[in-house]
Amino acid sequence: MKKQLCIAAAFLFAALSPLSLSACSTDPLPDPDKLNIMGKRSDLQKPYMTRIFQRYEESGQGELNIMAIEDAVYEAKAQDYFRKGKAPDIFLHFHNADLNSFDLGNTFAVLNGESWVDDLTDSAKAYCSDGNANIIGLPFWESSVSGCYYNKTLLKEKGFEASATQEDFNGLCAALADLGQVPICWPAQCSWMMQFGLDPVFADDPELLASLNRNETGLDEIPAVKNMVQWIADAAEKGWFGEDYLDTGWDDISGKLSSGEAAMTFIWDSWFYTDFKAGKYSIDDFALMPAFLNTVPEGTYEGGNLNMMMVNKNSAKCDEALAFLSFCATPENYNAAFEGIATVSCFKGLTSNIQSKMVTEAQASISRKERVSTASTKIVGYSADDLAVLLSDLFRHKYSTAECLRKMNENRIMHAQEQGAAGF
Amino acid sequence: MKSSPMKKWLKYLIPVFSILIALAAVISILVYYFGLISDNIESDGRHHLKEIYGQVNHSFSAFIDKNWGLLRGCNDYFAFFADSNAPSEEAEPYIKAYVDGRKEVWGFSKFYFLDKARNFVTSEGETGQLSLAASWDGVIASGRDIIASEEIGGQKFTMFAIAAQAGVYKDFSYEAIAISYTNTGIAAALNANAFDSSAKCFIISRDGSVLFTTFEGGGSYANYFTYLSNSLAAAGIGEKRQKEITTQISQDMEQILQGEAADGEGGYLQTPLGKSGDVHCIVYMPVGGGNYGDYGDYFLLSDVPQETVSKGFLSAQSATMWVMLSIFSIVGVAIIVLLVARIVNQSRRSKTELRYRERMFDVLSGSVDDIFIMLDPESERVDYLSPNVERLLGIKNETVKKSIREMAKCAVDRNIVVPKEELDAISMNGNKHWECEYMHQATGERRWYRVTIYHMDINRVKKYIVVMSDRTLEQQMNQKLQEALDAAKSANEAKSNFLSNMSHDIRTPMNAIVGFSVLLDRSADDPEKVREYTHKIMASSHHLLSLINDVLDMSKIESGKTSLNVGRFSLPELLEELGIILLPQAKAKEQEFSIHTQGTPPELLMGDKLRLNQILINLLSNAIKYTQVGGHIDFTISEVEASPQYSKLRFIVKDDGIGMSEEFQEKIFQPFSREKNSVVNSIQGTGLGMAITKNLVDLMGGIIQVESAPGKGSTFTVELSFALAEPDESGDTWYRQKITRLLVADDEEDICLNIREMMRETGVDVNYVTSGSAAVDATVRAHKEGNDFNVILLDWKMPGMDGVETARRIRKVVKDIPILVLTSYDWSEIEAEAREAGINAFMSKPFFTSTLWQTLKPLFPDSASPIPEPVAPSESVMEGRLFLVAEDNELNAEILTEMLDMEGARCELAANGKQALELFERSEAGHFDMILMDVQMPVMNGYEATKAIRACPHPDAQTIPIVAMTANTFAEDVQNAFDAGMDGHLAKPINMDAVRKTVAQLLHRNDSQENQ
Repeated sequence: MKKQLCIAAAFLFAALSPLSLSACSTDPLPDPDKLNIMGKRSDLQKPYMTRIFQRYEESGQGELNIMAIEDAVYEAKAQDYFRKGKAPDIFLHFHNADLNSFDLGNTFAVLNGESWVDDLTDSAKAYCSDGNANIIGLPFWESSVSGCYYNKTLLKEKGFEASATQEDFNGLCAALADLGQVPICWPAQCSWMMQFGLDPVFADDPELLASLNRNETGLDEIPAVKNMVQWIADAAEKGWFGEDYLDTGWDDISGKLSSGEAAMTFIWDSWFYTDFKAGKYSIDDFALMPAFLNTVPEGTYEGGNLNMMMVNKNSAKCDEALAFLSFCATPENYNAAFEGIATVSCFKGLTSNIQSKMVTEAQASISRKERVSTASTKIVGYSADDLAVLLSDLFRHKYSTAECLRKMNENRIMHAQEQGAAGF
Repeated sequence: MKSSPMKKWLKYLIPVFSILIALAAVISILVYYFGLISDNIESDGRHHLKEIYGQVNHSFSAFIDKNWGLLRGCNDYFAFFADSNAPSEEAEPYIKAYVDGRKEVWGFSKFYFLDKARNFVTSEGETGQLSLAASWDGVIASGRDIIASEEIGGQKFTMFAIAAQAGVYKDFSYEAIAISYTNTGIAAALNANAFDSSAKCFIISRDGSVLFTTFEGGGSYANYFTYLSNSLAAAGIGEKRQKEITTQISQDMEQILQGEAADGEGGYLQTPLGKSGDVHCIVYMPVGGGNYGDYGDYFLLSDVPQETVSKGFLSAQSATMWVMLSIFSIVGVAIIVLLVARIVNQSRRSKTELRYRERMFDVLSGSVDDIFIMLDPESERVDYLSPNVERLLGIKNETVKKSIREMAKCAVDRNIVVPKEELDAISMNGNKHWECEYMHQATGERRWYRVTIYHMDINRVKKYIVVMSDRTLEQQMNQKLQEALDAAKSANEAKSNFLSNMSHDIRTPMNAIVGFSVLLDRSADDPEKVREYTHKIMASSHHLLSLINDVLDMSKIESGKTSLNVGRFSLPELLEELGIILLPQAKAKEQEFSIHTQGTPPELLMGDKLRLNQILINLLSNAIKYTQVGGHIDFTISEVEASPQYSKLRFIVKDDGIGMSEEFQEKIFQPFSREKNSVVNSIQGTGLGMAITKNLVDLMGGIIQVESAPGKGSTFTVELSFALAEPDESGDTWYRQKITRLLVADDEEDICLNIREMMRETGVDVNYVTSGSAAVDATVRAHKEGNDFNVILLDWKMPGMDGVETARRIRKVVKDIPILVLTSYDWSEIEAEAREAGINAFMSKPFFTSTLWQTLKPLFPDSASPIPEPVAPSESVMEGRLFLVAEDNELNAEILTEMLDMEGARCELAANGKQALELFERSEAGHFDMILMDVQMPVMNGYEATKAIRACPHPDAQTIPIVAMTANTFAEDVQNAFDAGMDGHLAKPINMDAVRKTVAQLLHRNDSQENQ
């Protein structure tokens, strides 16, 4: 899933191409006789989604009208549908900052009273909360846990164990580097690593996030953000990322980890099932510890970005929609839908999925240190790609750390202005 | 004398060899010294390291003892409640309070109550299970105290545990109690952060498992031996050696634990570690030292970079070295300073003397015009250069210093180069010299130098000392003497030539005069012979006279006594006068003589008209003279440059006559130059005319050029600048005279266009036609339209209908329009016919507006002047006239009397000016018609007499014409005559034609005035 983040920028232009737009020319319309579900075309084509849709219709509880919108224009089109009174009954959204455009309180039903809420994992609940303890969606989505995945075999060979604190992690990196071992695979051409470090900064301090989103605080003014950027710059200087990290991209990560060239990387578990190719080391040689990016001493895990099913409370079929969500949240149904899917469970009763051993082994630590994905979803104007570019410039000594931070903030403000965010 | 290469090498080899030996000795001493120091440092470092970690070990074992003591104290306290069989819930608050109090004092993290299965409950009530691994085995059974590493909730702790009296806490039955510390807590308790953070201090078990480490971030270390092997491998140490080292440590530990080693001595080794390969010191000792058995199998191991260990010793050593070095340096510097001061003093004294000498030499050489240079013969490097080079030769000192060869650029003759071989050939203390002329590069001033090069040996170094001795004055003096000599020779030669020329040129006509006079005397009875001889005598006399005039004129010009008499003159008038003089000559040879203007040259100029006249007459008369009968002479005037104040005029005299050779053209302007060929020899000439012309042109600031080829004619071009004179008439003169339309008829269209262009400023509308018939048609048409022309200007000689015929036909239509004839020819022959045909006046070409105006003025009713009657020289003008002749020379007086008599005139003679004055004063009004006044006379000269006459009260005093008749013929003489009040000037010898013309003009003027 996070691979999408990496390649999103690369395909952004292609997605915005006239060809893609022309595909929207036949916009789906809500069907008054069916339950209308609106989502991104690619999301609605996920196997577990098609399975649950099919299962629902086969159950005879009703018919579904799947309103697939092209990914690139999803946010704009969806707002258009709601504005023109063509809103769906069920609306899928990743609960990022764009969701604020939909007038949450007056549009979507609060689902706290639904029976399935207790079956949600804590992280899933937190993700689907509107910030006021209201559950506003059913997280029917694959998930993953992001953190520092390390080669436990290699570390053991070198006489080391996983780190429990940032200080330990620094010592581990220094000791590994001193042994000539590249500690961290840092794919500088990718863009997700920093958000792991930023999550606890804003997830643990909602007021700071709100201040940032009101443009009252700058990214460059937040000490933890400064610490993180400085740590990354120092790590690169000390050789903790190896020699060729500036040229390292998505396709290089697997090779570096499976060969033992690098001992660790900041990634998510499902990546091992989708992109990792075993070499000298296999998936069994890896384990998970928190991501240490010098923002919090204990490190952090990032929970998955979940696609929520939300109910349009103004819809005539509101009850039917709520019933659909309950259908999906039934263990029998979600186990059938997620069977064989490599994912971290959002439901406590999910057993048919493939859950990585790495996550299972670190579950105790994850339960204490996991944060909801916050930076990429909640920071207005956040652009992972911009940060990656600026970091590369920092690595090349084009900017000082202070200049890099200042530009990060300027870019964020620029994007927020482009989005027409209030306060910018 | 040149030294051999071997000697040269030896010269340098010995000191170099000495320095190398000294350097080697110093290096050897230093190596030995540092080797000794290093051994000592290593020995001291090892001792120091063991001492430090012995203390750490002691502190750590004391810390363990204290914790175990603490746990035993707790056990005793808890045993009290166990023994009392007090209910668990009653004892708990006391136990918790007790534990909390100990935690506060000791700083441990948690207190654990444990059962055999390693399940625990903390004093806070938390439950769980510890691993404690193998170390736990037998703790309760044997009552051993243990230390163990434990991870609880993802964080590492060090546990201290003892077997305890069985008891119950929070319903949990326990048989052992334990406390846990975080690594940071233990490190703080141990105070083991020696050697800053560069040392890694571990507590490890015999198998290498790390209990804890004080190293920052060391929580990740699992097994020290594994880490050590990897670290050795990273340092490039082979597997065999890796194994030896790890085995050595492991075996040492085993021996210690087996009691085979000295109590608590531990081990020490040095080895490179890590990627950097830096040497580390590894020291290890059993925890507890001599009592190691009491603390299990744990070892205190420290890994410290050798550099860090030796840092203190090295710094002390280096401090000592620095102190020593400083002392030696200070002493050395003091000695050097003293030596340098002495040397500097001596050097300063020498330099001061040298500076004085240099300064004195600079001043000396700066004030003379001699140049001094010191050169290196091999490299040509300039060692010294006197500072006056730039002043004398205009070349910068720096330039010469860079390359002595730059001096050669100042030499006038750059070919004077002394070959290097010649310089090399100068013997030691010998010299070579030559003379050379140099030129100042900025001013061009030339100087002569005697250049002497001395070959010197200065301090065994070969040098050239170059002395350039200024010989300019001497050279100039010699040159002047030579020039004076040459001038004297030249003058003498010129004088001889002049006399020779004069002798020849004067004797030739004189020979004819004398010869024909003799023949005349013998043939007095033969009228034919008399007439012939008289004519030849007159011709020779005229030639002799012109020769004398030219010689005198030339003499005056060359002596610089000629001055220009600048005045206002009219170019048209000048050209008209030239025409009057020259047209008859050209006509006599049937030559076509034409005067043209190109463009619109200005008419009124400021200049010396007389001299300009002389120049142009010389050129034109030569052209006529040296052009065959029927030839062509073109005289063109054009303006080549113009400004509001000045005008540069170009006069071109072109003929198709005999031309000149190139050789002669080169000396045509030299006096007495005449081409020698049969044609020229037959033409009389003095050979001075062109020389005079050239001198006059020069005097007027102009140029004269000649282009010629034998048989093809010659072209003389003269360019002269003149200031412009203010015009007489205002711009609207023509308009006021109601002259607005002019018809021009000339077969040459260029002339018509030229006239129109010249008339543009007048505002007169010029129409032109190119034939007589067209002129008639135009006139008729204009008349019919009631738009008559105001003036008609006709060319005389037009193809078909000529000017006279055209005028005749025009007069049939219009009667009162002035018709003028424009011609290059002498119109006297046709004047009567022309006037009969209705032509009012004649104008000579070229056309000028002022000439037209002057011609037209008498023809208009309000004109102040009447129509002028042509004045033609006539013999009758003299007849009956009475002249007062003032002449002191009786012979001249007699000749003049006879000549006047021949003209039918009479005269009264006066022997000087005073007599003339008296005669005039006594005469009645109108008695004398004119006074002919000699200038140089005794008693009263002609000028004084003229002034007196003009000043006397005689009725005719202001009006009677007085004409100078003198041998003073220069321009100044003429001007002086006019200034004295005379009206004309006639040069002696008397030319009766000139007399007649002058008399006619003056008498006519007077007659006109009387009529008015």
